[in-house]
Amino acid sequence: MSGIEINRRDFLKVMGWSGAGVALAACDMPSTVTLEEGKEEVTAYILPEEYVIPGIGVYYASTCQQCSAGCGIHGRVREGRVLKFEGNPDAKINYGKLCQMGQGGVQAHYNPDRITKPLVRKGGALVEASWDEALGLIKQHVGPESALSGDKFAWVTGTVSGHQAVLLQAHLEAMGSGNHFVHEVINNAVGQAVNSDMLGETQPTYRFDEARVIVSFGADFLGTWMSPVHFATQYAKFREAPRGILVQIEPKMTLTGANADLWLAVRPGTEGVLALGLANTLLVKHKRDASVLPAEVQEMIARYDLDTVQRITGVTGDRIVKVAGWLDSQSPSLVLAGGTAEGQEHGYETAAAVMLLNIILGNVGRTIVSSGDLPYAQMGPKSGNNQALLNFAETVEKGGLEAVFFYNTNPVYTAPSFLKLTDKLNSVPFKVAFAQFPDETAMRADVVLPIHSPYEDWGTHVAAYNGTQIGVQQPLMEPLNPTTHGFGDLLLEMLKLRKAETYGGFADYYAYLKQAISALPVELAQPARLHDAQWQQALQTGLIPVQRSARAISAKALAVNLPDYTQNGQYPYHLVPSPRLGLWDGRHANIPWLQEAPDQISKVVWDSWAEMHPATAQKLGVTQGDVVTITSDQGAVEAKVYIYKGIHPDAIAVPLGQGHEKEFSRYAKDRGVNPLKVLSPVRDAKTGELALYGTRVQIAKAGRHEKLVKMGGSEIQVGRKLVATVTADVFRRTEGGQDVA
Amino acid sequence: MELGENRFGGKMSVNDRGFMSLMNRTEELSGGRKTGWLWAPFLSLMVFALMLSSVEAYAEGTVPNAVPPKGTYEGKNVEQPIEFPHDIHAKINEINCMYCHTYARRSKVAGIPPTSKCMGCHSVIATDKPRIKKLTEYWEKREPPPWKKVHDVPDYVHFTHEKHLKRFVFDNPELPVERVSEVCAFCHGEVKNMTVAHKVKPLNMGFCVRCHEANKGPSDCWKCHK
Repeated sequence: MSGIEINRRDFLKVMGWSGAGVALAACDMPSTVTLEEGKEEVTAYILPEEYVIPGIGVYYASTCQQCSAGCGIHGRVREGRVLKFEGNPDAKINYGKLCQMGQGGVQAHYNPDRITKPLVRKGGALVEASWDEALGLIKQHVGPESALSGDKFAWVTGTVSGHQAVLLQAHLEAMGSGNHFVHEVINNAVGQAVNSDMLGETQPTYRFDEARVIVSFGADFLGTWMSPVHFATQYAKFREAPRGILVQIEPKMTLTGANADLWLAVRPGTEGVLALGLANTLLVKHKRDASVLPAEVQEMIARYDLDTVQRITGVTGDRIVKVAGWLDSQSPSLVLAGGTAEGQEHGYETAAAVMLLNIILGNVGRTIVSSGDLPYAQMGPKSGNNQALLNFAETVEKGGLEAVFFYNTNPVYTAPSFLKLTDKLNSVPFKVAFAQFPDETAMRADVVLPIHSPYEDWGTHVAAYNGTQIGVQQPLMEPLNPTTHGFGDLLLEMLKLRKAETYGGFADYYAYLKQAISALPVELAQPARLHDAQWQQALQTGLIPVQRSARAISAKALAVNLPDYTQNGQYPYHLVPSPRLGLWDGRHANIPWLQEAPDQISKVVWDSWAEMHPATAQKLGVTQGDVVTITSDQGAVEAKVYIYKGIHPDAIAVPLGQGHEKEFSRYAKDRGVNPLKVLSPVRDAKTGELALYGTRVQIAKAGRHEKLVKMGGSEIQVGRKLVATVTADVFRRTEGGQDVA
Repeated sequence: MELGENRFGGKMSVNDRGFMSLMNRTEELSGGRKTGWLWAPFLSLMVFALMLSSVEAYAEGTVPNAVPPKGTYEGKNVEQPIEFPHDIHAKINEINCMYCHTYARRSKVAGIPPTSKCMGCHSVIATDKPRIKKLTEYWEKREPPPWKKVHDVPDYVHFTHEKHLKRFVFDNPELPVERVSEVCAFCHGEVKNMTVAHKVKPLNMGFCVRCHEANKGPSDCWKCHK
């Protein structure tokens, strides 16, 4: 604090003397907030709506857009302003619950760093322009009169679904291009490839509530895996009596790991070997029926006896026997692979090895069931991955693109440095960003179109997981800025440039959506008395029920080929760029609530850190708060050490989300580092997906010490009984905890 | 690509420029429905006439079943866009406070009357007076007069008009609703003797707490600081 030492008590005193005014002035509050008479304005309505009472909230249904899980929300609106989001109780994804990222949506909506005017690059710099000018430029470069040919055009987006996906596809077809790169850093692409090959279905439904044991290899289903709020409600049922047993196997403790009965720190990348070790124990020790597996798979599993598995994974044999014992005695079970297990060079093989366990245990058809088919395939989600980012960079490098449209993705920030994406993008002559914030990608575009926040805009969404309802997104209030436009409206404008005969009749996206939803063959809860009853019901509930067609799920056991563990002399440690429910992949770093919310494990706020095992810290001679340099073959990042036992001694975890450029947000600038930048070019051999956790690093002391800002400050209670605790032994005896000794 | 009119299917309340926050007028909202309601002035006038005929005169006195709060404050004179005469309305014409501040009984805020309510009478009454001419100008521009706030409590204080009116008026069988202004005066002073409102009570925590003690109101911190 600019050299002046001030402790908390003094700070409160100062607050007391100078009153709230000073504190508020420091937080960019409008100076008109005062109790003084005659300073603030109170604005009356001209004509009141009968049901609007100032001071009393009205709730409208919509769909959360903070990640792609697609939770239903209710927005509380008072005096024309949306104030708070709650979960929509009728939404079958989140059953009325909402995570902190969802809650943070209001701060994305009211964010002071939103782009409000179109920007156009002139003389190298982005300057404000009129909509006519910006759209004129787009027409000139990608309109029918331009010389642009189909494949020279591309869309780069985050996950899209619903009618936006339909229109986006229509636009690509109208352009004659097949280039749609759908990029999400946090994804389940490898797992879905395995599902597709072994179950015949990309995304089956998991019955956590039916399972009596869950063994998760790196799938942080309570935090960052696919649909965490949905899984949390399922997990609660799983934990009801008789209490299910949760085993989490991962190199760095996640929120799910912290909830597990048994948390196993596995050597990163050896999760598949551990799965095969469990399979071996089940077949040999527990005499599980091996006939469900082809001979080659049986032979392959036979090679993974306890000694081999112990040696490769670093997990002791008694733990493996214990977990296998639970899996054998408690049926049905559910074995999951995700995150750290899949993000490896042999991620596909690992996820396949995990699926073999489900096949041996007979879980397929019991706790892994078919999701059925969405009747409107064209509205289904186009789920993103990192392979799309790699493919995009390759396409750009080949000089294949003349015009690129970006929406809901920030590849310049998320791309590892080895892709050299920033440089490569310079070779694309015309880049358009449909952006809400001045993020790294938008700042490198030639035209930036300011779009509505998701809470001012229209849309429909189908979730990749549990898409049993179409989520309706409707504005919760009038746009804050009259100069922003809806994404769907702009998409229609783009389409009208090329296909006026088909889309010219729609005044705007609202009109398109109303017609499209009214035409859906949906069974109404109430008999239709009004001609637009279906539309009214969609707006009222925020949900459109979908009858997914039934589908049989079948299991096909595939042999897997897993490598032995190899040490790397030069880069002895594994980098875990850990995602968290909060800043996510960095998109929410501009939301102060989420910066302020402590990390679920380390409790650090507003910063990056490097999680390290105490034994490793001792070996390197560092203490908590020491800055270390983490170097891969692609570069280095620096972070303060946080010492914690919930990490494998050979791993170092740096959270995703920080290290943004200063234009993005006043709340994110000069804050932490982005570990994605130093990732090595390691790809999953089978799917081509970037191996997010496949980077090896070396760690060196940077020679500095800084204070690690975290909640609590101390890991122990120094004998003061601030929080009631029981020992693990007592817990096991009295509260049904599992004996994991 | 202008926003269409009434695209909320009649569900949203913010289509009109005037439908803005009572608290903050920081942003301009884009256009919307601005026609209709021509009958509104006449309806309001009828209600007003009915009300006048039913008013009974009550002697000024203390409010039964209540101990008025103590304390005074020397407030500033606040210049308003129109020097609204509370005295003409509430004293001479004996209009009930809640006729204009209609949300007081239903919500935490009492509400500034919508401009349409003013025009309900003043499209025919006193149309030649300078203040009414100014009001009419605002109405024709479809802009509410930029009234200045006089009475306020900090954001960390939850005050609700609704609960106070319930306690002292609607749940108080000995106080007819016609005498509500005497209850309003607890915190706002004798507004019926003022033109524009003028802060004459301190509205600080001691003022609130002493009144809560005397009237057996809740003493729980979280009741107000929530």
